[in-house]
Amino acid sequence: MNSALAAVLARPDIWRGDAIAVSPAPTFSSGFAELDAELPGGGWPRGHLTELLYEHSGIGEVSLLLPALARLTAAGGVVVLIAPAESASSDYGLPHAPAWAAAGVRLDHVYWVAPQKTRDCLWATVEALRGGAVSTTLLWMGRTTSLTANNVRRLQAAAHEGAASAFLYRPARDAEQSSPAPLRLRLAAQGDALQVDVLKRRGMPLRHSLRLTITRPASLRRVTHAVADTLPRVPGRPLTVVA
Amino acid sequence: MLWLTLSPAFPDDRSPSSPETWAALACWAGRFTPRVTLQPAAQALSMEIAGSLRLFGGLPSLLQQVRSDLALQDLRFNLALASTPRASLWLARAGDGSVCIDRAGTLTALQTLPLDVLQPTPEVMLRLSSFGLRRLGDVLALPRAALATRLGKAFVLDLARALGEIDDPPRWFVFPDHFSHRIELPAPVEIAPVLLFAARRLIVTLTGWLAARNAAARELTWRIEHGRTEFTELSLRFSAPVHSVARIERVLKERLERLVLPAAALSLTLLVEHTELREARSGGLFDGVSGGVSGDGEGNREALAELLDRFTARLGEGALQRLTSHADHRPECATRRLVAQAKIDNSAVLSAFPRPLWLLNKPQALKERNGRPQHRGELTLLAGPERIEAGWWDSNENESDVRRDYFIALDAAQRWCWIFRQQENSSGWFIHGWFA
Repeated sequence: MNSALAAVLARPDIWRGDAIAVSPAPTFSSGFAELDAELPGGGWPRGHLTELLYEHSGIGEVSLLLPALARLTAAGGVVVLIAPAESASSDYGLPHAPAWAAAGVRLDHVYWVAPQKTRDCLWATVEALRGGAVSTTLLWMGRTTSLTANNVRRLQAAAHEGAASAFLYRPARDAEQSSPAPLRLRLAAQGDALQVDVLKRRGMPLRHSLRLTITRPASLRRVTHAVADTLPRVPGRPLTVVA
Repeated sequence: MLWLTLSPAFPDDRSPSSPETWAALACWAGRFTPRVTLQPAAQALSMEIAGSLRLFGGLPSLLQQVRSDLALQDLRFNLALASTPRASLWLARAGDGSVCIDRAGTLTALQTLPLDVLQPTPEVMLRLSSFGLRRLGDVLALPRAALATRLGKAFVLDLARALGEIDDPPRWFVFPDHFSHRIELPAPVEIAPVLLFAARRLIVTLTGWLAARNAAARELTWRIEHGRTEFTELSLRFSAPVHSVARIERVLKERLERLVLPAAALSLTLLVEHTELREARSGGLFDGVSGGVSGDGEGNREALAELLDRFTARLGEGALQRLTSHADHRPECATRRLVAQAKIDNSAVLSAFPRPLWLLNKPQALKERNGRPQHRGELTLLAGPERIEAGWWDSNENESDVRRDYFIALDAAQRWCWIFRQQENSSGWFIHGWFA
């Protein structure tokens, strides 16, 4: 390789198509080494929108972000959780504070916003992102609402403006829709692990799936129906946990 | 001493007429200095601004701020600066926009003034013109003792006051303890957001009053009057005391956009009962200009407080919450939802057992087949039981007096859920949360 070419390749704004792009935007570690290795810049991007596509709640889709959220809030970063009031109460419920605290998230840096209308969810997310006072927002849209590419573009622009990171939880069926988000991951349960497919990232696409060991409340191998059946049906002392 | 005087440019129906409107103007002027003096008889307001120049980053930027505030309130005033209040009043009346920052400059500027800006009594005026005197310079050139015998002592004393030869103690405006100002709308307003234009005038007045008292307000009450007795009240509460026009305006805007007026609005009143002392924040010693963001942390906290205020203004009080865990073994009581302003305690003792990240509002009953709970197929129990007994002592409702055995289970779609079986009366399986 001649020196002129080497000099060009050394520039930070030039990337080679066969490598993951070195993200010019700052990133923060996801807490999963095998995921960080595949994310441009080595972590979740700041100033950009990240899409998390998933089929059902309860597969570990939030646990995926918990290590990063714990670290962010410990450093004083503000996290805003946004979900439409109606779908939060009927679909998956409300954040249960002890669980978030147990994962190391500092609750005094967390705000929960549950607007009545979907439109207001988008408004709140855009405002939170672009003001610069919030480091991360997580937005859940109801299972029935699909965002248009235009809506997603507005979120991405707001994240860019406020240099904040934004995570958008979307139904898996939206994977087919093209999106302006620079990073898109599809999440699926795989036993007690989480399977992550990188649908889109800056640079080379990733062809294989990642298998992340996320925190799960129990191990898979125990089947306790037998125990459940033998439980005393009469008032008694609190039992101990088996697993 | 440096005096800035404002005098109506064209005394017409838009210039302040009643004592209340003059008082409102004085409140606004408090934004620049607490040393404000009103001369309703002379139709003027003067303020002593020598001490405020540094704060506003110099005279030109202070004057620019004054002019833009006046434009915002749709007021047209002539401005003049001089070393004495009287001289600045005369110069303002002349309307040349004189800016004299010292005595020598003031003296020079006074020379060319026409005599009618002194507003002397008609007979003094008649005499002055019979002497052939047209400009103030002509009068100042004459011996003062001779003038006193011909035109009266009062006239000569006024001259001496204007020149700063004798004291001219001002009667300082006393800023009221409570803020209450009302403006008539130029035309009936049907749509709430339109009120913002009128409200802006009141906000500018309020921030002046707050600045003069070194105070900040946490709650503002707006009264939108539809008639003599009918009105709509709008209360704005802030998470942190506010004193800036922009912040109040942004929150009010969100609220007005949601508001539907029951009838056309005719006038608008702003009331502030309680204020808090503003947090002391010194400007930089060397940077000359203050008013910028003093530090990242401070600016960030303000930006966050503003964001939260706008959330509550637009989405309603209940839509924004903070979460805190509470040491209660009943899952329903372990999360406390607090208003945005609440202090959060991170120290609650947590259960040693796993808890789901999402908790359903109400446990949902599960179907059963052969005594096994079903949720899109049969659930696999992975861990449990954890027995939780409800606090019957806490409430007399039957519902809370229960014993539950909680299990961690996996459904056919590999979703991790938190289910329980009720031990008392109607036993059955319920789902209560998701390990998301």
